[in-house]
Amino acid sequence: MKRKILSPPVLLLLPAMIIIVAVILLPLLLSLYTSFTPFKLTRPDTFYRFIGLRNYERLFTDVYFWAAFGRTFVVLTIALNVEMMLGLGLALLVNRAIAGQRTLRTIMMFPMMFSPILVGFQFKFLFNDNIGLVNNALQSLGIAQAIPWLVDEYLALFAILTAEIWSSTSIFAILILAGLMAIPRDPIEAAKVDGCTVWQTFRHITLPYLMPFMFIAMTIRSLDIARAYDIVQIMTAGGPARRTELLWTLISRTGYVDANMGLANAMAYISIFLSIFFTWYFFRKLMAARRYMGGAQ
Amino acid sequence: MKTNRKAFLAGSALGLLVLGATSATALAADELMGDFTGVTLQAKLIGGNQYEPLYARITEWEQATGGKVDIISKKSHFEIDKEIKSDIAAGSTGWCVGYNHTSFAPQYTGLYVDLAEYLSKDTIDAFVPAMIGASTVDGDLVMLPRAQFDVSALYYKKSLYQDDARKEAFKAEYGYDLAPPATWAEFKDQAIFFADPPNFYGTQYAGKEEAIVGRFYELLVSEGGAMFDADWKPTFNSEAGQRALQLFVDLYAAKAVPSGVLSYVWDDLGSGFASGSVALNLDWPGWAGYFNDPKESRVAGDVGVIVQPQGSSGKRTGWSGAHGFSITEGCANKEAAASLVWFLTSHDSQLIEAKNGPLPTRKDVWTDLIAFVHDSGDDYRSEVLTAFQEAAQHAFPVPQFPEWVESTNLIYPELQAAILGDKSTSQALDDAAERVADMMADYGY
Repeated sequence: MKRKILSPPVLLLLPAMIIIVAVILLPLLLSLYTSFTPFKLTRPDTFYRFIGLRNYERLFTDVYFWAAFGRTFVVLTIALNVEMMLGLGLALLVNRAIAGQRTLRTIMMFPMMFSPILVGFQFKFLFNDNIGLVNNALQSLGIAQAIPWLVDEYLALFAILTAEIWSSTSIFAILILAGLMAIPRDPIEAAKVDGCTVWQTFRHITLPYLMPFMFIAMTIRSLDIARAYDIVQIMTAGGPARRTELLWTLISRTGYVDANMGLANAMAYISIFLSIFFTWYFFRKLMAARRYMGGAQ
Repeated sequence: MKTNRKAFLAGSALGLLVLGATSATALAADELMGDFTGVTLQAKLIGGNQYEPLYARITEWEQATGGKVDIISKKSHFEIDKEIKSDIAAGSTGWCVGYNHTSFAPQYTGLYVDLAEYLSKDTIDAFVPAMIGASTVDGDLVMLPRAQFDVSALYYKKSLYQDDARKEAFKAEYGYDLAPPATWAEFKDQAIFFADPPNFYGTQYAGKEEAIVGRFYELLVSEGGAMFDADWKPTFNSEAGQRALQLFVDLYAAKAVPSGVLSYVWDDLGSGFASGSVALNLDWPGWAGYFNDPKESRVAGDVGVIVQPQGSSGKRTGWSGAHGFSITEGCANKEAAASLVWFLTSHDSQLIEAKNGPLPTRKDVWTDLIAFVHDSGDDYRSEVLTAFQEAAQHAFPVPQFPEWVESTNLIYPELQAAILGDKSTSQALDDAAERVADMMADYGY
């Protein structure tokens, strides 16, 4: 009887598949399993106690979890829109530079080179109510009140958003700049010959060409912001009084400080839906933009 | 946490060595060296410049015993805590000597051995009994405390109390003489009186995480309350709890503390007082040298220290904790590990650490240190040591149960909500108590 062996393509792919299963699939399945247990890091025996959907049931009625979920959604939406607008503006300006464009591109990428933890500390100091630069500058301008930037609910979120936007706008700018450089000159010149205004040229030719680049940048950043942790943890740690609590500050505290890894994993699996939603939404927009430009389906 | 920035008891090393040698003769039974040739102990220690002088002594232990110490991890308190928890979960607890802390020790269930089985009674008796009590969990001595004992006393800006115009104005407003506060009610009056925001604040407090819960806890005790009853049911939402929380609320509402205080922890508080913009500061012993160092602090030469105030029950605040060393159950050579732990917490080791500011946990080191500081003729150091010696007499640890840290994470957002005015003190404490009770029920209390 002829022995069955794996086909050459499967054999060749086997090492990669084994690695993927070992480093991605198994940890995912393990964390999914622990979300159905009361697993506590300091009590290893709890790993084997199956409690079904109890963690999920608890989370569905936990107002603080859903408040953090909603806040993450709002922060994500605001950050993405502002970063996109600022990134577009920056890219258009740099694209028009006649000399020193390479230097400008490098300078533009500086914020991306800082670690998020360092950015967090920088902005925590800037917005410190007592010794921070912002309040000191305002006081020199005659505003005598010490503004509690990291305490007031809206101001604290504003401060966090400022740090996030400062550190990541250049991602949009670089990707959009790449798009601008790839735009063919012919349609723009044709528009000029046809008497289009600058705005009309931008709105109907430049922007549609840039949209796929923008949606790719938005997809990448939406995944990033949905996992926002370092900057928020350093600046406010989700406080005060949960006013700036985002999903990952809550999940990290639950998982590591409280050692409740089972509950934290359940939170993480629910929070993944936020990332899935934004990824699905932007990919739909990306495909629509490519169809509009006559690109591949 | 509770860092000590600068050597504040820096003095003659020779004098310390003489003192150490004198006391060593009296400690014959308190001795645990041996021949551990060929033994390598893996250790996970807390990292930071202030801890290095002690770690530098490890080579002396290696030379004396023939053993080796391999420090496989040296991280900040919270990082090493996470790492130890991950080790427990993964079952990777074959290393031998670990950093521990009295506030965190109860959560490492089953990880560490009972040191009483490896140390002589003389050794254990050489420590301050309250320290041994705080290091004992469910009857097991799970850690041996080093000279990193923390309890808070009250630092204040002396010149404020020497200004006649201020004294007169204070007496006219409050009806009693202006002097460093003996009670928390006086503390509140004075903090509000001194405040001139945003240029100057009466006081400040740790505003988040375990730090604010610790401060609330000690005020609660000084008001006659308790965090839990004998059955581990939360009782911190009592009237005593409301009075304790009200102090935080009133100071915040009166702008006697910086408006960003709810994001402050220890470093922010230390640098705040050193900046000269704060009148009263309840803080740890490790800051004493930093506050009086002219290169680092604007209040140098103007710092007073007294024992912490008392609450309405007559008790003083006194939330305390101590760093220590433990030995894992999985350690292959526990005798060698016990020798190292003894060495790191011995008389000479503690004296070396204590000369840099932190408080010792051995009785004989206290005696030697006080004599040394008094002989040095440094009035500030004497004042600091006297204040902290008295402060230590009122010290008490956090409630000893594994979920203390988890409970603080449920409590502190509610304390913050009350301070910010989002909730009343009673509502905030009731909400916190309800969440903590749920958590305790989950764990079978």
